Amino acid sequence: MSVVAETQHVVRRRRFDTDDRWMISLVVLLVAELLYFNFGISTFWGGGWGTSYSFLGYGESFLFTSMIALGVMFVIFTGDIDLSVGYMAAFAGIMMAEFHIGGMNIWIATVLSIALCAVIGLIQGLVITYFKLESLLVTLAGGFILNSAAVAWEGPVPPYGFPHSYDSALGSGDISGTIQIPNQLIVFAVLAVIATLVVHRTRFGRQLVLVGHNRQAAAYAGVRVSATRVKAFVLSATFSAVAGMCIAANYGTARDDLAPTLLLTAITCVVLGGVDIFGGGGRVPGVIIATFVMGWLAPGLLQDNVNDTWATLIAPGTLLLAALTIKGIVDRRQGVSFRAKTLARFGPGSPTSAHADAGDAPGTGAT
Amino acid sequence: MSATEASAGKLAVDEPRRAPLLSRTLRRREPMLVVVTLAIFGLTSAAQPHFALQGNISFLLASAMPLAVVAVGETVVMLVRGIDLSVAPVLGIAAVSTGFIAQDSHVSVLSMLPLALAIGIGLGFVNGLFVTYARIPPIIATLGTFTVYGGIEQLICNSRTVVTLPTSWINLGTHDFLPDVPYILVPGVLVTIAMALILWRTRWGRSIYAFGANAEAAFRAGIRVKAIEISAYTVCGMLAGLAGLIYVVQVGSAGYNTGSEISIQLQAIACGLIGGTTLTGGKGGVVGSFFAAIFLTVALEGVIVAGIAYQWQSAGVGVLLLVAILIDAYQNRQGRSVSEALRSVLGGHKPVQQEASS
Repeated sequence: MSVVAETQHVVRRRRFDTDDRWMISLVVLLVAELLYFNFGISTFWGGGWGTSYSFLGYGESFLFTSMIALGVMFVIFTGDIDLSVGYMAAFAGIMMAEFHIGGMNIWIATVLSIALCAVIGLIQGLVITYFKLESLLVTLAGGFILNSAAVAWEGPVPPYGFPHSYDSALGSGDISGTIQIPNQLIVFAVLAVIATLVVHRTRFGRQLVLVGHNRQAAAYAGVRVSATRVKAFVLSATFSAVAGMCIAANYGTARDDLAPTLLLTAITCVVLGGVDIFGGGGRVPGVIIATFVMGWLAPGLLQDNVNDTWATLIAPGTLLLAALTIKGIVDRRQGVSFRAKTLARFGPGSPTSAHADAGDAPGTGAT
Repeated sequence: MSATEASAGKLAVDEPRRAPLLSRTLRRREPMLVVVTLAIFGLTSAAQPHFALQGNISFLLASAMPLAVVAVGETVVMLVRGIDLSVAPVLGIAAVSTGFIAQDSHVSVLSMLPLALAIGIGLGFVNGLFVTYARIPPIIATLGTFTVYGGIEQLICNSRTVVTLPTSWINLGTHDFLPDVPYILVPGVLVTIAMALILWRTRWGRSIYAFGANAEAAFRAGIRVKAIEISAYTVCGMLAGLAGLIYVVQVGSAGYNTGSEISIQLQAIACGLIGGTTLTGGKGGVVGSFFAAIFLTVALEGVIVAGIAYQWQSAGVGVLLLVAILIDAYQNRQGRSVSEALRSVLGGHKPVQQEASS
């Protein structure tokens, strides 16, 4: 009998849950968006796969934001938030540029800047966990400080003048072939694969999500809660720093003015990707798809002769609000509130408890 | 003193009455802020005599007012465990709408007041709907409306800017009605006093605190929690709209990124925190936020006078914010005073490991 129960529960678990449905909706949205833009607007498709003007090329306008989204995602998984990511990226770019202008080899400068940003993330994480402060406030303050540091360091003229090879490698270069793939897409793909594997295939990833799901339970389960949270901040800072390098290479100059937009768009992507803003839920592939949905929206609409304001501000904002409203309604209609999810996972009648009670529970196989 | 005080605090409820007047006063955020502000002002004036000139005092007070009014509204939202990032574009929309009308048809400032308030009320109400009925977390909901409202602000501007206001508006923005007391100060002070009284003396105000302290208990006590939460966002929006009118009168210009340009939403949150309001709701008040806005303005101006490059202003905000939340965290933890907290940190005593429930 218990075998029957097991099988049934396995079947039940393999059906699409809300996370799956959310991802499927995102994929549908992305496909619909691409179909519309590619067939509706000749300029969006450009010359097709083989030329540098295919829609993949638009990636250069948003992929660095996607990298930041991946970084801040780690922090959101743990139930914290990192508001300093945009400023971190700007600071990283300016730091690298100043090192380079100071005579350092640009690749050494890049690695050094990313490492230093990771240290800044470490400090933020330690301040948050040691003093038990709200991450929202500490990273808000950290963002202010980084912003000042970046603006003061760069002086009146933002640093520029990187070697062409650098601009091409991390910025506007492509891998030529039948399909021209922007180098930034490769960088992003590497980071995306790393993020997916780390979150969904490692012990650290499971701990990350558990810490966000229930800090106390994680602590009782022997997870080093503070260490896990700090690591998330380090990852966030590192990813932001990499994005900062791509921004500098792409525009040929380190920019501090993009920071607020980067932050807001990145958080939008994470939330649209289905990650629970309170932590403990969501899928990395969802975030990856969401960054493309958001990323192609603005250039697509602009090519469609939509007003600049509508394409860059009103449409993304409305998309975020509408998506979350719909998600909320759907979740509630199915009774899948956070509480319901928890009960389904750990409460009576759940797979876990059925497994535990399998020997003596007579009603387990009834459903 | 501290040891006996701390032990007494655990046993007796009336511990604050027995504390010396000075430490009692210093424990409250508002008097502390006034003292610190005056100290900064005194130091800066000593270094740079023209800092204390009449015109400059008046200018400092006036330029703090838009922030102060926004911060008062933000405080109401923070009291209900919320956060409103969209105040910046709400301020901007009110500023450019009233500014354009004034520029085109020379109306009086007071006649634009209903428009500014209505804009704020409408946009704030929408925020409230998203938070309450769509149940989107406040920071995300207002992040979304921040973007959308910012777009609306750009559409209203349509690449124009408010530059030539009627003389009556300019006069109101630059003149004093008493020495060192600019006209602009009046609405700020009135709003703060009114909101403080409303929050402390009315059923609505007490409901705000009750909801923020414990939403479940407030619901069980028969408070209409959804109406209270929506009203908090509406009031915040309304004050942001009012601040927009004050801003355009005081600054004399407005454009497509007014508000967002100086990240006034983050400054307002910082003011709320420096003024003693917490993000966890139910604790704090608007008077502290008002003084915090003046403190922030004076401190940042002082930084410039002290010869530090203006680029470090926002780092100043960040440091002040960190200091405020550190003090707050230690005052909250078992009611310890700052000196005790510092001693325990410097003495290397590690606090008992308890997982923050943020």
